[in-house]
Amino acid sequence: MAVVKVDKLARSVAEGPSLMTGSIPTKDWMEMPVVFKPGNYAYTTKPSILEYLDSQPGVSFPNAREWNPEDDDWKLPENWKEIIINGLAERLGKFRSLKIFMDCCVRCGACADKCHFFLGTGDPKNMPVLRAELLRSVYRQEFTLAGKLLGKMAGGREMTVGILKEWFMYAYQCTECRRCSVFCPYGIDTAEITMMLRELLHLVGCGINWAMEPVANSNRTGNHMGLTPQAFKGNVDFLCEDIENLTGVHIEPSFNRKGAEVLFITPSADVFAEPGLFTCMGYLLLFEAIGLDYTWSTYASEGGNFGLFTSNEMMKKLNGKMYAEAKRLGVKWILGGECGHMWRVVHQYMDTMNGPADFLEVPKSPITGTVFDNAASTKMVHISEFTADLIKNGKLKFDKSRNSHVKATFHDSCNPARAMGLLEEPRYILDHVVEDWVEMPENTIREKTFCCGSGTALNTDEIMELRMRSGLPRANAVRYVADKHAVNMLTCVCAIDRATLTTLMNYWNPDVEVCGLSELVANALIIDGEKRQELPEGLRTMVF
Amino acid sequence: MTSLIEALQKKKKEILFIWIDRTLDSYVSSGFFKKSRDKFANPVGANIREGLSRIFELLIGDKDQKEMVKPLDQVIRIRAVQDFSPAQAVAPILELKWVVKQVFATDKATRPMLSEMDSFDCDVDRLALTAFDMYMNCREQLYKNRVRELKSGRYILTDSACASALIKKNQQEITRLH
Repeated sequence: MAVVKVDKLARSVAEGPSLMTGSIPTKDWMEMPVVFKPGNYAYTTKPSILEYLDSQPGVSFPNAREWNPEDDDWKLPENWKEIIINGLAERLGKFRSLKIFMDCCVRCGACADKCHFFLGTGDPKNMPVLRAELLRSVYRQEFTLAGKLLGKMAGGREMTVGILKEWFMYAYQCTECRRCSVFCPYGIDTAEITMMLRELLHLVGCGINWAMEPVANSNRTGNHMGLTPQAFKGNVDFLCEDIENLTGVHIEPSFNRKGAEVLFITPSADVFAEPGLFTCMGYLLLFEAIGLDYTWSTYASEGGNFGLFTSNEMMKKLNGKMYAEAKRLGVKWILGGECGHMWRVVHQYMDTMNGPADFLEVPKSPITGTVFDNAASTKMVHISEFTADLIKNGKLKFDKSRNSHVKATFHDSCNPARAMGLLEEPRYILDHVVEDWVEMPENTIREKTFCCGSGTALNTDEIMELRMRSGLPRANAVRYVADKHAVNMLTCVCAIDRATLTTLMNYWNPDVEVCGLSELVANALIIDGEKRQELPEGLRTMVF
Repeated sequence: MTSLIEALQKKKKEILFIWIDRTLDSYVSSGFFKKSRDKFANPVGANIREGLSRIFELLIGDKDQKEMVKPLDQVIRIRAVQDFSPAQAVAPILELKWVVKQVFATDKATRPMLSEMDSFDCDVDRLALTAFDMYMNCREQLYKNRVRELKSGRYILTDSACASALIKKNQQEITRLH
């Protein structure tokens, strides 16, 4: 099968290129080698981290070593090629979806211009179709009759170190946001192709530290940052002190309490880093206002699951921890905070990996009596679903004027939007808690939302330029509403968003701040017995 | 005889076409950047097109440097984070001189203008220097953001108290010192 269309998609029409602007005489896309230089790759996994992970049951992370992508020699195992091809064969046998995705793409190009990495770089290998082609060409060569017989003529490529390097470059220039999949007429989940590329790379010890260290920490202490139970509890307690100073509401949350009705799990970033801290204060105030019988866990102290960006075994293990803790504490169901990819794992993988969670009950709001049938199998409800239900049933009182400092817009965080269909609830909540908010342009929201550019463990500072250019499509839409409607707050429901959009806004739209939705909820929430100070910036107000 | 400004106005469409086209040629796969006019689907192409067009209009109109800032930023802020050397990032501005000369040279009516380009060339040079300042500002902003992210992560890695507690502690120190 010839791949004429692919060549056509990739070819620039540049003629008489200018030396000044760096126009590059175009070669065939497959023959352009990748060049690693500072700023275009994330640092590699520390050997100690990889050794620790490799020692853990149920997962395998071999070939721990010091290595640098800029070096010619990546210190691969001698039989690296065999490992990769066998690894691909194993995955083709195990995951029917991968086999279908390898075979069914017709290179129609519908996805080509939908990726924020392509839109920010103009690099053809960032077109989802070509990124997938990096793997598909090897698949063709090794696993199809046409490829075996005709090689390059059938779009096949012999696996080489150069191709492995290409994989490492482009598997980490994809945030698995799945915007491209929305436009694919065949429904190819390109994120799963990136996931497979990353898994294959791990077989020969090629990974990035920003993914693997949080994974190791989560495996060891329960959260990305390796916070001990004491530190985790200490941080939440500090937030409660802040809340009391600001609102006069005294909160004494419980930790690891057996018999609580609900286990609450959120990304650990909400507990320790701005602006997530304010989102966390929002949760605490909301639960206090409605008298929810819930507990935190200092072991399942992380909603995020960087296993999703690493390997399916690691994802399963980290996800399993949340359910093991729910079982240990004997809760009825799990309430989840404003996290992004946690919800992809829960909605799309949990059930077949660790589910069904039969030891839990189908979630039922103790305040409204609403049964969340949508979570009948996973037993896990999103905080926005929970809050929207409270509002709909008239259980919350708001004073919108407390958010009068905010002119908001809403960023659909990729995973809640595309992986669980959480589109209406956040908007319904915003309608009730702020005086005014506006939507960004139609082709940048809801299912078509643009990624922050830093997901899948790419939120590290050494690739700042890459993050800024891949975040441009999002920032560009924010700039439009900031200019047109004086928007000053970008609301979202994802911890990685809260951290990375803050930096993205600082670069592209410095007048726009970033917040979690629950922060705005708590700003406006009227709580019986509160003695709220005049808070011109809501929970962000510094009180002396 | 037409003035230089009139000639530039007359040839505006042609000059802009070539200038934008060459600037977008600096991307490996530029077809989509050139084709799509949707500002939100094609932020690089649309912003560069809009920015360069505005810059040219300002150059041949009343030249207020302040007004130049926005369109110049629109172009340079993007190129400052892309895979270009500093020279390549600001080069499109200087290329305008070459583009104008190419266009003027192909028409008998405008060919005499080629000897009167000094002041226009100076304006473009000045603009290129401003662009370089902007480029550096963008880069510095990136480095500051790097440091800020690193600092905000440090608390965690050392298992120390949370950011909120440290802010409070700092405030108490400040209050005590006053």
